[in-house]
Amino acid sequence: MSSCPQKRLLTKDDMEIWDSSQTKKELINFITDLAEAVKDRDNTQFKEPISAEVSSTLALLDSVLSVVDEHPVLNDTTSRFGKTEFRSFYQDVKSNCHNLLSKAFDTLTTNQIEQLSIYFYESWGNEERIDYGSGHELNFICFLYGLYKYDVFRLERDSTNIVILVFVKYLKIMRRLETLYWLEPAGSHGVWGLDDYHFLPFLFGAFQLSNHKHLKPKSIHNDEIVDMFKDKYLYFGCIAFINSVKTTASLRWHSPMLDDISGVKKWSKVSEGMIKMYVAEVLSKLPVMQHFYFSEFLACPTGISPYDERNEHLESEHVHSGWGDCCGIKIPSAVAATEMNKKGAHYKPMPFD
Amino acid sequence: MDIDMDDVPMQDAELTPTINEETSINDHDDFQDIEFKPGSSGIADNKSNKPLELNSTNINQLDAWIEHLGKCEILSEDDVARLCKMAVDVLQFEENVQPVNVPVTICGDVHGQFHDLIELFKIGGPCPDTNYLFMGDYVDRGYYSVETVSYLVAMKVRYPSRITILRGNHESRQITQVYGFYDECLRKYGSANVWKMFTDLFDYFPITALVDNKIFCLHGGLSPMIETIDQVRELNRIQEVPHEGPMCDLLWSDPDDRGGWGISPRGAGFTFGQDISEQFNHTNDLSLVARAHQLVMEGYAWSHQQNVVTIFSAPNYCYRCGNQAAIMEVDENNNRQFLQYDPSVRPGEPTVSRKTPDYFL
Repeated sequence: MSSCPQKRLLTKDDMEIWDSSQTKKELINFITDLAEAVKDRDNTQFKEPISAEVSSTLALLDSVLSVVDEHPVLNDTTSRFGKTEFRSFYQDVKSNCHNLLSKAFDTLTTNQIEQLSIYFYESWGNEERIDYGSGHELNFICFLYGLYKYDVFRLERDSTNIVILVFVKYLKIMRRLETLYWLEPAGSHGVWGLDDYHFLPFLFGAFQLSNHKHLKPKSIHNDEIVDMFKDKYLYFGCIAFINSVKTTASLRWHSPMLDDISGVKKWSKVSEGMIKMYVAEVLSKLPVMQHFYFSEFLACPTGISPYDERNEHLESEHVHSGWGDCCGIKIPSAVAATEMNKKGAHYKPMPFD
Repeated sequence: MDIDMDDVPMQDAELTPTINEETSINDHDDFQDIEFKPGSSGIADNKSNKPLELNSTNINQLDAWIEHLGKCEILSEDDVARLCKMAVDVLQFEENVQPVNVPVTICGDVHGQFHDLIELFKIGGPCPDTNYLFMGDYVDRGYYSVETVSYLVAMKVRYPSRITILRGNHESRQITQVYGFYDECLRKYGSANVWKMFTDLFDYFPITALVDNKIFCLHGGLSPMIETIDQVRELNRIQEVPHEGPMCDLLWSDPDDRGGWGISPRGAGFTFGQDISEQFNHTNDLSLVARAHQLVMEGYAWSHQQNVVTIFSAPNYCYRCGNQAAIMEVDENNNRQFLQYDPSVRPGEPTVSRKTPDYFL
C-alpha cells in the first residue's frame, strides 16, 4: 500500500525540479483539457448522456451541501472575521470523507479512497484559519484528476461535464461557504490578484467565451450584461459575485487586475493568458505549492526534499505534549531549529500573513 | 492545517527566555524568495552618526513632498531615495522599545488604503497637532501602498517626535513579494528600485513602543522568548524579519482564548493565552498590551480581560470585509477612548490607464 499523500515542496531547488517535472506537465494538461472541453459552451450546455460517474460525483457534492445545512452559524458574537461553525462543518466532512467517497465510487480500493480523501477535504478551505484560496481550489482539481487517473472519469466522455456540472456545483458550494462562514481569503493579494478566493472559474470562463461573437472582455464593465449573463458564463458569474461582495468602490478600483484584462481585445487571448497566469501564479509559486500534496497519482518527482516531519507536524491533527517532542519523535526546540536553518538543513514554509 | 489546540501546553520549563542574538540575527540565507540582497538599494550606505537635523531647506522639501503625497500622488524615484536616506538617519536612532509620551493616538493596520488613512487623520485630528503611533502593516493588498508608506515616512521625518511608526509583519521583503507591494512598485515605477529602498528602510523601523511606561505597543504579540521589556531592548532589530525567534514572534503572534502558548496556524509566531498576557503585564508593570495584526469587525477588540487590545485601522478591508476601523486615543491622564470610522466611499473611476498584464499580451 502506498503511503499517505505528503507535502514535499519546500525550497527553491524543489520548485525547479517540480517546474520541469512530468507530474506538473500532466496536471497542466488535465486543466487545459477540461478548459478546451467547455470552449463555446455555456453553463447550460452539458453533454448528454451524463455518465453514472459524473452523477455520483454530483451526488457526493450534494451530500456536502447537506452537511452545510447541519452547521448553521449560531454564534455571531466572536469579533474575529471567520465564523467558527465552519470548523464543525469541516470536521463533519473530514470524518465522513471515507464513507462519502466509498459510497460514491464503489469500484475504488481502500487505498485509492485514502489517496483521494485528503484532496477532497482540503478542497473546502482551512479549518484552523477559517480561510480559502486558490491552493484549496487546486486540491479539488487534484481530486478530479485522481478520479481520472483511477479510471472513474474518462475525459473523452466526461470532460465537458466535469467543468459544467461538477466544477460549477463545487463553485456554488464554495460561494455558499465563503458567504455563510465568512471565510477569510487565504494568501489574498488584495487588489493585486484576480479574486480573493478563486482562479479557475476565470480560466474555464474565458474558454467558454473564446469565440463569442458579441460578448467582449470589456463587457465586464457593463452592469446589465453582467447581470444578464452571470448564470450563463462562469466569467460573468465571477464578476457579478465580486461586484456583490466588494462595496464602497467600483470594479476599476477594487479589481485593477480584472480591469487590466478587460482591455484585451479577444477572449481567446484571455484564455491563453489565464493558462499562463495559472501556471505562473499558482502552480509555480512556492507559497502556494508548499501546501501541495503528492500522492500515488501525483507522483513526487525524484530529487525533491525528503518528507519533513517538522513541517508536517505543524499542520497535523495531533496534540503535542511539549515543544521538544512530537508524537514520540524528537523535534528541535525553536532555538535549535534556528541553528539548523543556518546550516540549511531545515526550511520553514512561508507563513500565512 | 488542522490543529486541535484546545490543550496544547506549549510552554514548558525549557522555554524560559533565552535571548541569544546569535540564533536570531543575520540569518537571511534561507529566505527562499529573496531576489535582492538586503541593503542593495544603497539608502543606508552613508548613514550619519547623529540624528537628522531639520533645517529650512529640508523642511521645505519635506513639506512639499507631504503636500504632494497628500493628494495621493507618488514621489519620483529620486525623491523616494532622498526621503529614505533621511528616514534612515531618524529611525536608526530610535529604540527597539521606542518611548512615547501621552497624549497619543494609537492605530493599527492600514494596508495601502490611502483614502482611509486620510480619513483616519480627519477623525483623530491632523498630525502634528495630534501625536500618532502606528503599529505597522502600511503596505500590501491595497492599491496605494506606495503612497501610504511614503506619506507616513515623510511625516515621520518631518515630525519625528510627533509620530511613531512601528514595523509590522508586512514590512518585510519576503511578505511584500507575495502580497502586492512588490507588484505595485513594479507597476508604478517600472522597476523594483523603490521596493528595494523601502524594504531596506523597513529594517530600521522600531519593533515596539512603550506609551508612558504603561501600554506596550507592537504589531503582533508576545513571544515565549521574551519575559521582560528589557529583553526586547537587547535584540538586534536591523535585519529582515526572521522566520522565528523573538523578533519574529513580536510581529506575528496572536492572542488566543486558549491558555498558554500555542502553535500559530499562521506558521509563524505563537498564540498566547490570558495567563501569558497577565504575567507579562504584571512582570513589566504594564496596564495593557496594544497590538494590531488581526481583522476585527468593530475596528478594536478587547481580549484577555482587557489585558490585550487589538486595533485595526483599515475599514472595509480589501473592499469587502464590511468591518469598521478604529483608533485608540490615550489622553494625558491615560484615559482611553476608541474612535471608530467607516470606509470613505470612492467616487468615480480611477484615472490611471489600463495596462495589459504580460500573460495576456
